Amino acid sequence: MEFSDLIRTGRAQAKLLRGPEAPPLRGTLCLTGHHLLLSPGPQATSELWLLLLRSVDSIEKRVASDSGTITLRCKDLRVLQLEIEGVEASLDIARSIEALSSLESVITSFPFFYRPKGLRLGDAWHFHPPERYYKRVARETNAWRLSEVNEDFSVCPSYPRAVIVPRSVDDGALARSARFRQGGRFPVLSYHHAPSGTVLVRSSQPLTGPQKRRCAEDEELLRAVLAGARPGARGFIVDTRSSQAAKQARMTGGGTEAKTAYPGWKRLHRPLERGQPLQESFVRLVEACGDPQQSTDSWLCRLEGCCWLAHVKEALSTACLAAQGMEREGACILVHGAEGTDSTLLVTSLAQLILDPLSRTMAGFQELVEREWIQAGHPFQLRCAHSAFSHARPKHEAPTFLLFLDCVWQLGRQFPLSLEFGEGLLLALFEHAYASPFGTFLCNSEKERCLCEVRTRTHSLWSGLNQPKEQRKLRNPLYAPNPLAIWPSVELQSLRLWQASLSVLLLLRPISALDPPT
Amino acid sequence: MSLLRGLLGMELIETSVRLFLDFQEKLASLDSALILDVPLGVISRIEKMGGATSRGENSYGLDITCKDMRNLRFALKQEGHSRRDMFDILTRYAFPLAHSLPIFAFLNEEKFNVDGWTVYNPVEEYRRQGLPNHHWRITFINKCYELCDTYPALLVVPYRASDDDLRRVATFRSRNRIPVLSWIHPENKTVIVRCSQPLVGMSGKRNKDDEKYLDVIRETNRQISKLTIYDARPNVNAVANKATGGGYESDDAYHNAELFFLDIHNIHVMRESLKKVKDIVYPNVEESHWLSSLESTHWLEHIKLVLTGAIQVADKVSSGKSSVLVHCSDGWDRTAQLTSLAMLMLDSFYRSIEGFEILVQKEWISFGHKFASRIGHGDKNHADADRSPIFLQFIDCVWQMSKQFPTAFEFNERFLITILDHLYSCRFGTFLYNCESARERQKVTERTVSLWSLINSNKDKFKNPFYTKEINRVLYPVASMRHLELWVNYYIRWNPRIKQQQPNPVEQRYVELLALRDEYIQRLEELQLAGSAKLAEPSTSPAGPSPMMPHVHTHF
Repeated sequence: MEFSDLIRTGRAQAKLLRGPEAPPLRGTLCLTGHHLLLSPGPQATSELWLLLLRSVDSIEKRVASDSGTITLRCKDLRVLQLEIEGVEASLDIARSIEALSSLESVITSFPFFYRPKGLRLGDAWHFHPPERYYKRVARETNAWRLSEVNEDFSVCPSYPRAVIVPRSVDDGALARSARFRQGGRFPVLSYHHAPSGTVLVRSSQPLTGPQKRRCAEDEELLRAVLAGARPGARGFIVDTRSSQAAKQARMTGGGTEAKTAYPGWKRLHRPLERGQPLQESFVRLVEACGDPQQSTDSWLCRLEGCCWLAHVKEALSTACLAAQGMEREGACILVHGAEGTDSTLLVTSLAQLILDPLSRTMAGFQELVEREWIQAGHPFQLRCAHSAFSHARPKHEAPTFLLFLDCVWQLGRQFPLSLEFGEGLLLALFEHAYASPFGTFLCNSEKERCLCEVRTRTHSLWSGLNQPKEQRKLRNPLYAPNPLAIWPSVELQSLRLWQASLSVLLLLRPISALDPPT
Repeated sequence: MSLLRGLLGMELIETSVRLFLDFQEKLASLDSALILDVPLGVISRIEKMGGATSRGENSYGLDITCKDMRNLRFALKQEGHSRRDMFDILTRYAFPLAHSLPIFAFLNEEKFNVDGWTVYNPVEEYRRQGLPNHHWRITFINKCYELCDTYPALLVVPYRASDDDLRRVATFRSRNRIPVLSWIHPENKTVIVRCSQPLVGMSGKRNKDDEKYLDVIRETNRQISKLTIYDARPNVNAVANKATGGGYESDDAYHNAELFFLDIHNIHVMRESLKKVKDIVYPNVEESHWLSSLESTHWLEHIKLVLTGAIQVADKVSSGKSSVLVHCSDGWDRTAQLTSLAMLMLDSFYRSIEGFEILVQKEWISFGHKFASRIGHGDKNHADADRSPIFLQFIDCVWQMSKQFPTAFEFNERFLITILDHLYSCRFGTFLYNCESARERQKVTERTVSLWSLINSNKDKFKNPFYTKEINRVLYPVASMRHLELWVNYYIRWNPRIKQQQPNPVEQRYVELLALRDEYIQRLEELQLAGSAKLAEPSTSPAGPSPMMPHVHTHF
């Protein structure tokens, strides 16, 4: 299939409205396989306007006698309006945008064609391999080793090639433990907290099933986790489902660790919202923010009804629980829910931000995102296929990663000097996770990225963001390294709506508020 | 937690200013002594809890309700009648008025190197505004508070209105609070005028002098055909006021005026709303339905209406479309909120520390906001219907503005909180009494210290490092519920779980960076001097200060 088959009309005269803060643009509209362009004509002063088609979330068309209006709602929540001359042309363009923006093939997506000046292919992909984090762990403790049991992705398709595991457990035992865990996600090291000599470990749920099956190697693995930690360390299993949901999972082959099978480990249930309900919460939030008719009288009730801030609170307080377990109780923590690819990662990555000063640096945070989200197998392609505007029936979409970014923003707001990066980086990650010219967030796992040769054929977002001129926008000028743990206040009174992520919707923003004085 | 339980062996040290409690906290295994520092002025009510027969820990003692959003509960030992003595002493010093004792401000012998009483000089302030001019004059008709006992001695009125006119107008305005100038626009010369409601009554009385007077105000600006009247009240309340002799300016009587109602509720509604806020934040923060609970207090909605009203006043005047007359019922609560907030939006002078002090002195203190009645300094009648958090609401609005315009105000959050703390503390004379005439009778300026002495002698503590001085910029805050937030650092400051980092780390860091910048600029100058001296050495021509001194701009 060629892109040209999908493009019925490639060009038309149009006017673009970008919201109340930007002047409208007039010019020639061109449609290419990946982009919508508006060329303002030779005499105009403004530059070419460009939109990545993948970032279009929903499209709405209206026609008048001799023109049409297309409203594009983007995945980063921007809303754009195009007024196009000619009814036929505007309908054609709308249909083409619809078709092109929903193409599912990875290898024909724009990152495979994007060749920016000044960047070399392959750069920055080697920034954050698992080996690198292992080097740090190895300096701190001898109890862990780097295992290549998943070299060919056969043990666990959603794990990277190399994972960090207790030294005393051999690869054979790992493979057998993997068969006892959903999707093969056996317990692996997420973070070693050197000051307390404890670790954060993550996995998926054990496949105990209705017969309450057990697995000797899995039990041995968790025993080895405790044995490798500070002497006498206990363990907490933070299950991100309610205890009822965990019990129900047995009926479908899943379940949770039995007390008797894992001595020294205690189970805690901290239900976190996930999947469709989380997506719906996001959709409701965006609806509420974008509703111009909304009488402001019941704004807070409506905000509460969205539950978004409640989800932020739950995620942060569960992360605090895990972090506290390590720092205050000197215990090892295992986090899992069901698949171990969503709320599990939310908790482990936030707990690291709270405890680990290195993860709060520019490089450390990128490493954290790469290690705990991308390589840890958060299915970005499925979760970020659509954002809040899409009319398509949601399948696997969920804004877990956005929720993570929101939580990080809350940390930054409460500890304004402790993060080396600013809001700009979080907004950039939000945008690029949903649609990007870079390959970093493509696919659902390392295995898929290998098959598509993402590393060799696309550019890494990190090399894009780490250019000096970008860095200036992403850094927090007030940063001062803080060697301590940062314990956020998780009460709703201390949380705020992350307005910048929704700013395009929250009209009437006091835009002059931060303008430099004239 | 300020809700203190389980303390035994408490030592109560009483001075007439403060309640100092020094005790070992019995909770947990913490060893640190907790010192509670509560000015007695902040106490609204003292109650005994439990009796001789009470059983169980913490059931016997004292319960103290404070005016600043907290309660203190002291559990005491039952033996030895220690409670009775403590109760008597506390009651006497917390409510001196009921015991014919002086308010503490009259006993306070603190000395500061700045005299805060000199901050506000009405003549100077009006001169700063360019007054008197061809259309407006300063009158001393109220020198002895004969025209209006709740107004200041010095008033600014239209040049064309004689003192006799003023006296006649006074008969038709509630409590003789005639329309007088609050602020004049430096360029378009439109004005903000404040007053109380006209005494229209059920029969719809008219007063030719009042009508003429308003027209004279309008005519101070020739190109304007209508005077805008903002009645702060909801329409129905204004109508209801006719029954008690009040009312509003009707279209028939005032041809050249346009009247709008601003829907701001009265002092009782505001008091109840704040009470609801306290209910959801103290002693425990309402957890499960925080946002809808907050919404149901309507506090932010009231803030929104006050700000919206002030924005309309400011916009009318700034656009030069019309002069504005503001009143509510008596013109000392909502009117003061609206004029002072509008002036804060219009005039950058009031956004400096001293400017804000002048604004408070002028629009609130001198124009007779009834601080004594609204706050109840030293008064034991905690349930008095005159109490209301009108001034707190104004400060909250200022805080909302400072959130939306972080570089526009010279003062920081601590400045606002300090003002509110001393609104109740009775340590300074600034907020005592209801009006200027009463303050003069009590010789407040001679016998007490001004709050501004404390603040102005240590200004650095109250400065906003992000402040960028700007002239002529009008601030229009966004008064939408989506952009207003609860002032957590004030209303929930007693809750340890909410506690923010103090001092504000961003401010502190910014101050450090500014100091660093100054240091570098100085170093640069020194090096340049040294450099030019070296260059100058071989030649005989004396090198002046380097003309090449670059303009150092540092943007953070």
